Amino acid sequence: MSSPDAVAEPALEVPLSAPKPRRSLRTAWGGYLVGKLAAAVVSFAVTLVIGFVLFNVMPSDPVRTMTRGRPVSQAQLAQLRVQLGLDKPMWQRFLDFVNDTLHGRLGYSWEYRQSVASLAMNRLGPTLLLMGTSFAISVLLGLWLGQRSGWRAGSRFDRITSSTALTLWSVPTFWLGMILLMVCSVGIGPIHGFLPVGGMSDPTLPQTGMTHYVDVAKHLVLPALTMVLVVYAQYVTIMRSSIIEEKGSPYLLTARAKGLTDDAVRRRHALPNALLPSVTMIFMHLGTLISGAVTVEAVFSWPGLGDLTYEALKIPDLPLLQGTFIVFSASVIIMNLLADLAYRFLDPRVRAQ
Amino acid sequence: MVLRTPRRLRAALAVAAVSGILLAGPAGLTTSAGAASPSTKSGTTLSVAMDSSGVDTLNPFLAYFNGSLDLFGAIYPSLTTIDQSGKPSPYLATSWNVSPDHLTWTFKIRDGLKWSDGQPLTAEDAAWTFHLIMTDEIAGTANGTLVSGFQSVTAPDPTTLVIRTKQPQSNLNYVSIPVEGIPIVPEHIWKSHVADLKDYKNDSYPVVGYGPWTLTGYKTGQYATLDANKSFVLGAPKYDHLIEQLYKTSDSAVAALRSGQLDYIPGGVINSTEFKSLTHVTGVDTAQTVGNGWTGLEINPGAKSRSGKPIGTGNPALSDPRLRRAIALSIDKQTLVKKVVDGYGTVGEGYLPPAWSQWVWKPSAGERQGYDPARANQLLDKAGYKRGSDGIRIDPKTGKPLDLRLGIHSDDATDASIAPYLAGWLKAIGIKVKLEPMSMSALNSDLGKGDWDMLMDAWTTGPDPTYLLGIQSCATLPNDQGNGGNTDAFFCDPAYDKLQARQQSLFDPAQRVKVVGQMQQILYDADVDVMLYNQTQKTASSSKVTGERVGKPDAQGFYPAQNSFWTYLKATPVEHGGSSSSGGLGIGLGIAAAVIVVGAGAVVLRRRAGADDRE
Repeated sequence: MSSPDAVAEPALEVPLSAPKPRRSLRTAWGGYLVGKLAAAVVSFAVTLVIGFVLFNVMPSDPVRTMTRGRPVSQAQLAQLRVQLGLDKPMWQRFLDFVNDTLHGRLGYSWEYRQSVASLAMNRLGPTLLLMGTSFAISVLLGLWLGQRSGWRAGSRFDRITSSTALTLWSVPTFWLGMILLMVCSVGIGPIHGFLPVGGMSDPTLPQTGMTHYVDVAKHLVLPALTMVLVVYAQYVTIMRSSIIEEKGSPYLLTARAKGLTDDAVRRRHALPNALLPSVTMIFMHLGTLISGAVTVEAVFSWPGLGDLTYEALKIPDLPLLQGTFIVFSASVIIMNLLADLAYRFLDPRVRAQ
Repeated sequence: MVLRTPRRLRAALAVAAVSGILLAGPAGLTTSAGAASPSTKSGTTLSVAMDSSGVDTLNPFLAYFNGSLDLFGAIYPSLTTIDQSGKPSPYLATSWNVSPDHLTWTFKIRDGLKWSDGQPLTAEDAAWTFHLIMTDEIAGTANGTLVSGFQSVTAPDPTTLVIRTKQPQSNLNYVSIPVEGIPIVPEHIWKSHVADLKDYKNDSYPVVGYGPWTLTGYKTGQYATLDANKSFVLGAPKYDHLIEQLYKTSDSAVAALRSGQLDYIPGGVINSTEFKSLTHVTGVDTAQTVGNGWTGLEINPGAKSRSGKPIGTGNPALSDPRLRRAIALSIDKQTLVKKVVDGYGTVGEGYLPPAWSQWVWKPSAGERQGYDPARANQLLDKAGYKRGSDGIRIDPKTGKPLDLRLGIHSDDATDASIAPYLAGWLKAIGIKVKLEPMSMSALNSDLGKGDWDMLMDAWTTGPDPTYLLGIQSCATLPNDQGNGGNTDAFFCDPAYDKLQARQQSLFDPAQRVKVVGQMQQILYDADVDVMLYNQTQKTASSSKVTGERVGKPDAQGFYPAQNSFWTYLKATPVEHGGSSSSGGLGIGLGIAAAVIVVGAGAVVLRRRAGADDRE
């Protein structure tokens, strides 16, 4: 979905649906909704097929990889293959997979010997905590910095903000994580390490109550900081460019002519219109939150879904990969659908089409 | 309407952000599997790095991952344990004897031991465990192979266990040892779970068992907490608590050790570079232990199925032993030890690693194949592999240039550093090498189907070499479709197989050593698995811990191979207080960081910049 070009917006009071009877509006809404829903269902179906094919055409010997280094006889390997359903032909495995998905079952992990749903549930909390926190901070920080630097494009503030953000964006995540780990956990020179190296909580502390919450917050600082530093630049750049785009619009001239302060013009007039492209991006990123961040989770030993997927890929644990894949794709598709709906709600121009 | 949008949008954003955090908060903080026992607060605590494979399942009948096996070694008993010289010694069994026909083993089981819930621990528990593994397909998932030679297991009385085998089996006292062998479980707990064994997670804490430790909690993907068993029969652990913490990268384990959040990193976690950096750190002790595995190059000798049908896409030239010998002679193992593992290892020769000294075999001076590219070139010239215009030799049988694929593990740094050396050395004797980095799983798949020319390979073994010797026997070849095999490199030699059967039935240690030596001689001469080097295991510990390394270092300063069972049992705190945990400062900073974050958010939301009219 591309951001609408800077079509000069009809000045302030667009008589939105003035003469239109309500019913036709509802029909328009309904048609729009049905269309988008159908598109979402189709893309989910396509994703399912792609996901299955991708994971199943990978040359692999999961049974040997799983049992690597353990004294396992041929008879046992053969038995294990039957247990895991590897002896079934591909089409049958695909039908089983579709059937499982339609019934809301997410399969049974080969390596962890439990249902994919229970495994994913265990990891969902940590992932949402890490990703949700860093996402919220990145969005707020990025949008705020972006709109200020865009409004004063070329100023010193803008130059410093943009170059810092872009530099951090281009830094490899795991490298930045390692550096933060060295400085804040191990300590360098006069700085003593003051934050935990990894994990989500300290096993020597009680796992309930206030102490536990503070402990988890402490463990969260470094991974969340790493994530924020690497991703906030995206919001800065998109916000900055949309503000710059809006800056020359006639409606801002009108607003200024009414005697509003520069700040009020920015906040009340430029910002709402400039936010639209960011909304799309926010929703798109919301969809990917659930899949976690493999590199950050690895560096800080954070027990999230990204890490689980990576472990599954090594074997490869097909049911676990397919299960998490379904969850991730569904999440992205739902968020895109919501973005479409929100867009229609936020932007009168989309409604008018 | 337009005027109201920004405020509404801002409010919506703020609500979304806050609710996201609130939703994630409680969800993120719920303990997935039983909470760690709060008793870890008093007494001394030993924090060790869990094997990076982690825990696949806490059900000992199903688990394959080393992280799980280490835990089982700590919380479930076994018949015997391995002493410092690598030989079986008493644990549950105080003594054992074998009948004259070598088919019946009688173990004397200790009297008066109790499971952690107070129920008596008897020979019946051991008999029940073995019998279940022998008879139940699911129960045999992890360790079925170890009991495949058993005829029957009985417990005529609480202190006697009788095992009858189908054939004489000299390694029976290695079948149930801590970590690598079969853990014995309490019958009264597991009896009711036989029906749902496949789904039983074994996660009600404290887990009923018997060993140096009791498992009090496990948090998925994070850590396991254990309490000491102060009345343990082989001596009480010196620490009150044990924590096995999972670090996903070796870098973070090293960082945790340096910052005092970890006391011990076992072998197999850290690489040479990290080890070297730790040798200069105050407060950290480093030590190497003798290598318990090998890193090698496999050369496809002409993959065949069990019925002798050629399978796969291996280069046919490699079935010529002269070509394989030339490849072996072209490799400078000394350089690999120096450059790839920074000198932390020994040049590979015999098939069984130096850690288990009784099985070590070395070629005699006349038979040693050292680095000798001149001789390799002579061999190939004499065998008719003429060099083409580009210097690459031509296979006289097919007329094609010798262009070989070398499969390496894409996620293994040592493979990546070895490969260019091999390619260079092989080019010097007129062989072109094409590198093919693959995932472990893809590599295993190609290996099993015979679709390879050369592969990098590595194995480690416990004190009983039977399995490692077994993967070189004809019986492990796949069927005609390339399925069902577990061969290591398609090696198959009837003479070798005969010796393999023989060594398993020899009860005189000296004779068994001799036969195992002959087997290694055959492997050495075949050049199918070229042993490159035996890497030492690198361990690092906090200087607040002592006694964690069992045994005396040898002339090179290498300790004997370590086993987590003894390491955690023998580790002793040097001073009061176990592992340090960061104190008030950290909490304060954590709170400060949270305050800053919230404050910044508030500022962003509420900010009203001053009027700053332009134009």
